[in-house]
Amino acid sequence: MFISPHPARRRRVLVLATAAVVGATALAACGSGEDVAAPGAGASGAAGSAGSGGITVWVDASRAPAAEAFLAANPDADVEVVSYDGSANGSDTFKTRMNLYDQAGEGWPDVVFSTQNNDASWASQATPGNEPFAAVLDDGLVDPEVLEGFTEGSLDPCTVEGQVYCLRNDLAQVVLWYDQQLMDDLGYEVPTTWEEYVELSGRVAAENPGVITGSVGDAWTPEVFMWGSRCPANQVTGPRSISVDATAAECVRAAEVIDAGVADGSLTTLSVFAPEFVQEYSEKVLMMPGPAWFAGAIFNNPDSLALPEGRLGVAAPLPWEGEEAVTGNVGGGTWFVSSHSENPELAADFVEFVTTDDAYQVEQAPGYPAYAPAAEKWLAQQEESGYYATDLSALTEAGSVIWDGWGAPAFSQEAVWADTMTPLVTAGGSVVDNLDTWGEAIRNEAQVNGYTVE
Amino acid sequence: MSTLTRTGTRPARRPTAGGAVAALVHAVFVVFFALPLLWLLLAATRSGASLVRDAPLSPGSLGQLAENWRSLVGFQDAAILTWVGNSAYYSLAALALTLLVSIPAGYALALTRFRARRTLLLTTLVVMLMPNTALVLPVFLEMNAVGLIGTAAAVVLPFSFFPFGVYLAYIYFSSSISRSLLEAARIDGCGELRLFLHIALPLSAPVVALVGFFSFVQNWNNYFLPFVMLPSSDDYPVQIGLSALLSSTPAFNPSAAGAAVIDLPTLALATIVSVLPVLLVFAFAQRFLVTGLTAGGVKG
Amino acid sequence: MATAQKAAAPLRRAAGPATGPRPGRRRASLVPVLLVLPYTVLLLAFGLGPAVYALWLSFTDATGGFAGVDNYARVVQDFRFPGAARHVALFVGLWLVLLVVLVVVLALLVHAVSRRWVGTALRFAYYVPGALAGASSVLLWLFLLNPVASPAAPLLRLLGYESFNDTIQPTNLPVVFALIAFWTGAGGWILVMFGALNNIPDDVMEAARIDGAGPVRIAWSIQLPLIRKWVTYMVILSLAAGTQLFVEPTLLSQASNAVVPNDYSLNQLAYQYAFSLADFNGSAAISVLLLVVSLGLSSVFVARGGLFDTDAS
Repeated sequence: MFISPHPARRRRVLVLATAAVVGATALAACGSGEDVAAPGAGASGAAGSAGSGGITVWVDASRAPAAEAFLAANPDADVEVVSYDGSANGSDTFKTRMNLYDQAGEGWPDVVFSTQNNDASWASQATPGNEPFAAVLDDGLVDPEVLEGFTEGSLDPCTVEGQVYCLRNDLAQVVLWYDQQLMDDLGYEVPTTWEEYVELSGRVAAENPGVITGSVGDAWTPEVFMWGSRCPANQVTGPRSISVDATAAECVRAAEVIDAGVADGSLTTLSVFAPEFVQEYSEKVLMMPGPAWFAGAIFNNPDSLALPEGRLGVAAPLPWEGEEAVTGNVGGGTWFVSSHSENPELAADFVEFVTTDDAYQVEQAPGYPAYAPAAEKWLAQQEESGYYATDLSALTEAGSVIWDGWGAPAFSQEAVWADTMTPLVTAGGSVVDNLDTWGEAIRNEAQVNGYTVE
Repeated sequence: MSTLTRTGTRPARRPTAGGAVAALVHAVFVVFFALPLLWLLLAATRSGASLVRDAPLSPGSLGQLAENWRSLVGFQDAAILTWVGNSAYYSLAALALTLLVSIPAGYALALTRFRARRTLLLTTLVVMLMPNTALVLPVFLEMNAVGLIGTAAAVVLPFSFFPFGVYLAYIYFSSSISRSLLEAARIDGCGELRLFLHIALPLSAPVVALVGFFSFVQNWNNYFLPFVMLPSSDDYPVQIGLSALLSSTPAFNPSAAGAAVIDLPTLALATIVSVLPVLLVFAFAQRFLVTGLTAGGVKG
Repeated sequence: MATAQKAAAPLRRAAGPATGPRPGRRRASLVPVLLVLPYTVLLLAFGLGPAVYALWLSFTDATGGFAGVDNYARVVQDFRFPGAARHVALFVGLWLVLLVVLVVVLALLVHAVSRRWVGTALRFAYYVPGALAGASSVLLWLFLLNPVASPAAPLLRLLGYESFNDTIQPTNLPVVFALIAFWTGAGGWILVMFGALNNIPDDVMEAARIDGAGPVRIAWSIQLPLIRKWVTYMVILSLAAGTQLFVEPTLLSQASNAVVPNDYSLNQLAYQYAFSLADFNGSAAISVLLLVVSLGLSSVFVARGGLFDTDAS
């Protein structure tokens, strides 16, 4: 069994070859005893501030066209574009790197795009020995008229103590998406209140099992159901204070919607990005409350539900009976200008351009623009595509009724929900019965992030 | 050991049953280790829709593979190739430095006597046990202080500090070269440097292969250090590039939905591309591993 | 046999220059010092220096003033700390046993393969997963742990899991992480052990066979004692790597969109402190705590495994 695996001759050759390589190595090490020199070749300059005259801009891959559009419109501008992951998927790259640069006291980029919309909560706060990273934009850096052009409330996540620290790239307002053809075939009417929605879900579950009316398997479930119900579980009351009441009546009624739907199967507990969701529910999504980007990410996506042209309809956010409709928001990127920038005017011009100019926001942007005039043109263009069964005015309506009682604290509400509630919902537990668990988790997270909980 | 001689009556001839068990164990573990990789290989040849709709191990097509490849190199002007090139540069430079530094150090720690030997061994071990998270900030500040942030040196130099390799070399030399042999050579008048160059080095092929290989793999796969040291996307190594790709897929970054995005099969293909160099180095290095037998001969 | 006994009874020597008889005309050579010098420089710059700095951080506050044990008190009282400590302990226990037993067994089995190409192919198959790290394997595990899309679907279904979220229930996580860590990490150690086994002289093995020892007895009485140092080394490093659990939960956190939290382990918590809360002092305190635990556990193995003893003949 223990046979020597190779002939001696070959062995010697290998040994000699290796010895030659390492011999040279060892000689070098013994010969001087000095540490080896740094290989300098291939090194490129730091990607921090590009110095006077120019700016360095960090964007994610999806926003690279925005920077290109700016350069096309301003060919003389000295802009170095660096692509990074955009802090997507909880990577917190933006925050991590800024913390390091704060420690080093240098290295900050001039403009940063982030896919998160709660970065202003920390970027507006000073760290020991440093200015806050984010420059105040409404003190003259950005034209007040431009600021007023943003959809009402869209700059809320950027606003800390009345000062605007970032510009919103896009909105992700929650609307009610539905399959017009399936509605007609099954003989249902699009609901106009949450009460009707619950009733219709119950009927669907009884009459057409397997057809669903929504999903609660993703981390943004609280933004869709709780936020849209005015649940006061996330009321940021100051730069470092928050009020959490997860068992208020508004939260309970939203939790009841979730529990009823999960119990009768009309709401799926699968993530909309899970393979099993696509396999089970293609052609079986009757309706789905969800953010604006569901259209491109799920319905009109060949890798996902791939709903054919002319079927996807969109309805305005549902009100509770006797109340005005409000809605939630799931994401939407933000643009920051560095307070350390040596060229803040150019940096401000840049963020103004990419958030408002037609060349990017209308012609190329994948998401609903936060800047109202651009949004109007963007919608018109989307409608022209002929994909939708209805007009898209519901999106405009939803954009202006995002409830301002749901804050953007430094920690992620989605992560709290995903961690504490998703396993519970998956296992068939009741959300109503566990609202206090959820509230406790939020309070804990708030405290370790330095918040005073009221 | 005495028990050994007592069993002398039993002939060493049970390989049939034992061999079958061994083969079974191998079979189970080959499936365990290889099945996920098979899935990954197939995934690169499928479409995004097929990945979620078809059976897990259904093959795709060459056409789709080409399609995925086009999509991959289409991402930021073939950024993947730049990233692989960067990774190769950082890892190979660090590999050379690591070997220069670790092999002599391991030898000296194992087979020579000097004042701080034990202290050095102990410090090395303690540092190896230190969580990397704690070392990132100090190393970053050091590199910043000497103005190397954003340069290749900022990753290559810390990469070259490879205590794991020093220990490998240390254990290797101390367990495969006989101290008495060295003593005899010393008495013959052989200088310390010559001992190292003419006796230890020729026997060190297996450990050079091991240290070199592990150093290469670790540096190739290191995410956090380059993440911290290299802010510019042109300097990214492939691991950071992959996470940039990851964040361009709708499944991992819904806000990218609708833009020029990356499909999951493209990501699978990128993963395979990123792993290929490691496998090449493995294939090269593992030929030297079996030369361990030569060293055994000297042990006597 | 003699070799095995020698290796098993290492001679302990005091630190410092050897006191034994040396060839008279030569004084202590400078060469050993020169050989370790480059490494020592790197060790100071990228190991010891940063470690000392971290230690200093853990006893100071954000402005650099002395803080006593405040940082330690703060992190230990964090509501996430006890959970994270429990997660890590569970994981380390599971993983260490899995790793040590299976790596040694597999290395012995690979070493016993008589056909060269089979051995090479097996080492290759066992190693390949080690090439996949970090971002490259997020995608893989997203699918592998999904009972609908996984090649291991029948197994997952057999265990009663219907969806990805089922598979990654909190109670399953230590096992899942141990499997991921084993899948990626075992191959490298099998290589190391294989190399170590190759180092055992043929005549020792031959003598045992002539004595009539079977493969199992040879493994137990000869091969294992002779690779003891390597096993000790693996245990210590794996212990450290285990207590520093980071990669596996982080990648599942990414794959599951945070259903697996990104503060599951202590090391992740240290990371959160540093880069999410900008509290480098608290972060350093957690790291130092981890280091103390690793050191305590390791010292047991160092003492028993004879790791620092040079093999005296």
